[in-house]
Amino acid sequence: MSLLLCSQEYARRPYHVEMLGIHLFTAQELAYVIYHYPLLVLDGFINDDLLEFLKEELNLGMLAVKLERWLKRQEKLDEALVLILQECGYYNGVEINRFRHRLMDLRKKHPAEFSKLKADELFSMHQYTRAARLYEELLDRPADKHVDDTFLVKVLNNLGACHAQTFHFDKAYEAYEKAYLRNGKEELLQRMYILTLLDEKVRLGEHIQAVISEEQKEAWAKRLKDVRDRAARSDAVVQLEALFKKDSIRRQAGQTELVHRWKQEFRRQFK
Amino acid sequence: MEGLVVGIDLCDAYTQVNCADERKTWTIPTVICRSKSADEWYVGKEAYAHNLQGDGVIVDKLVKLAKKDGTATICDVRYPARELLTRFLEHVLRLPADEYGKKPILQLVIAVPKLEAGLIRLLKECAGQLGFEDQQVHIISHPESFTYYILSQKKDIWNGVVGMFELSDERLRYYEMKVQRGMKKTIVLTEYEDMEEGFSLEILSTSSGCRLADMILSSCAERMMQKKSYSSVFLMGKGFEKREWAEEFMKRISSSRRIYLEDALFAKGAAYKALDHLQEKTQYPYTYICEGRLKSTVSMNVIHKGQETSVVLAAAGDQWYERVAALDVIPDNQKSVDFVVTPLDAKKRKLVSIPLEGFPERPERTTRVHIQVKFLDERTMDVHVKDQGFGDLFPSSGVQLRQEVML
Repeated sequence: MSLLLCSQEYARRPYHVEMLGIHLFTAQELAYVIYHYPLLVLDGFINDDLLEFLKEELNLGMLAVKLERWLKRQEKLDEALVLILQECGYYNGVEINRFRHRLMDLRKKHPAEFSKLKADELFSMHQYTRAARLYEELLDRPADKHVDDTFLVKVLNNLGACHAQTFHFDKAYEAYEKAYLRNGKEELLQRMYILTLLDEKVRLGEHIQAVISEEQKEAWAKRLKDVRDRAARSDAVVQLEALFKKDSIRRQAGQTELVHRWKQEFRRQFK
Repeated sequence: MEGLVVGIDLCDAYTQVNCADERKTWTIPTVICRSKSADEWYVGKEAYAHNLQGDGVIVDKLVKLAKKDGTATICDVRYPARELLTRFLEHVLRLPADEYGKKPILQLVIAVPKLEAGLIRLLKECAGQLGFEDQQVHIISHPESFTYYILSQKKDIWNGVVGMFELSDERLRYYEMKVQRGMKKTIVLTEYEDMEEGFSLEILSTSSGCRLADMILSSCAERMMQKKSYSSVFLMGKGFEKREWAEEFMKRISSSRRIYLEDALFAKGAAYKALDHLQEKTQYPYTYICEGRLKSTVSMNVIHKGQETSVVLAAAGDQWYERVAALDVIPDNQKSVDFVVTPLDAKKRKLVSIPLEGFPERPERTTRVHIQVKFLDERTMDVHVKDQGFGDLFPSSGVQLRQEVML
């Protein structure tokens, strides 16, 4: 139990982390992003803009100078991330050591696995379009010991999820279908069928229709209904309903804020 | 020096003005008078004169009236008391400016009998109206002014306990100052006590009244001064202008002590302090414990760059009304912000914990908490705590807490 004293520097011009679609205002937030999203910061994160931010906004000029030197020589780039963590004072020695080992583990990964993990991380941050781009690149990789059918099915499945999240149900169907043709798993059939329920323009292919029974359709439709019922009772919906019960001034203010937030999230997902 | 450095002792009955490094002191009644026929204003004795002549309307007890945000109607015009007080101060400040032909006033310190937050705000506002910047004006208590005055005298005057009796129509008050020399710092402790036995100076007009007054003062002196080692005793106030009536009292206080009579001690003390504000390095490097100053140090234990450390938000001896501190912390595995309150007797140290009630649940170390501390008086700390969120990652909920902490 303790209280971490924050440095007084609070950026007037925050640093935009493109990959995450967020702005960083403090050294603590920078450390948090590096620590929690190592895959997204391992390559290309330390650049001139970041150095400028460290120097001008966070008053970490000495750190920026050191990093600049390493960046020019293209050396110790992983160690540079560790150095930033040390300077920010947000993580303790044990945590920083743990981070260093995680970086080493990641560097040992097969390049395809590394890219997939990166795409998975983007997906977890709702960066669906960026994640889809990486999954698509993986599909173009030549097959090898690692890039086999099992790996590609995972990639196609995740690609389908990305498209579904961005309402490209036809593309999602296409990805799930390709995955199904490689492994024939029932869960992929379910996903394809649910897509047809979400968007009537999406039609099951004849060969797919042939393998889905009426009982399965009924069960999956019920499952979708259950999910929709649960969603209708979710906190977000309850809050939304409460907003509409407020007086007109508060309702309007709440609506404006909510729509603004949705717009931001939407833009982030489609970048 | 190019400008003036002014100390004022502002009371409801009288006001005294003194400039640093100058002998002259002005004593004027705290009254203002407006001419009935023109927009002309007079203060002090001139005000009384116009009132007696019947061509002016007088307003007295200006401080009291302004403190309760009152008004006074003069010639069918209602004037807010703070405006009248501002006019009064403007006239008062003109006295040394005209006498010494110097301008502007570089520093102004006003000493008042009782320091209250409302009065401080009021006087700062008045000074602001007169064109003073906030950092040019300081309001202090009589005990603090007494302390500055004594410390500006030769050291042998204050190498033991210093006592002072103030006798006026308003009060009979006993002040006591002592210096505690420590290894790290020297603490100057000044206390006072308003005597219940205070009396109207009118009783001094009869011999029986004089005997009674002498008896009262003697018994007060006996009670307050017993078994203490005094280096000096001061007498001040209108009641001591003549001392023939106080034979017994004078005998009692003068045994092996030096007695000083000072008629404008608070104004002079204020002027010494004003002068000190202009120095790069203070001439009085002590920790003051008196009315208007904090009696405890408030700190927080935090982790800074991996090291445990203590951040002092306010130190014992700081002027409570000028002290505002703010910092941001990130709780790590704890749901409260904790303050350590350390009085002069460190054994009485206590921990004050403010739970972060209503703050949203977030992953560990992703809530930045803004803490602002100020003081409502020397014993009450006002703490504001605000959820700052954690940037775009965890936006602020806007939750704010406010708590008053008794020190």
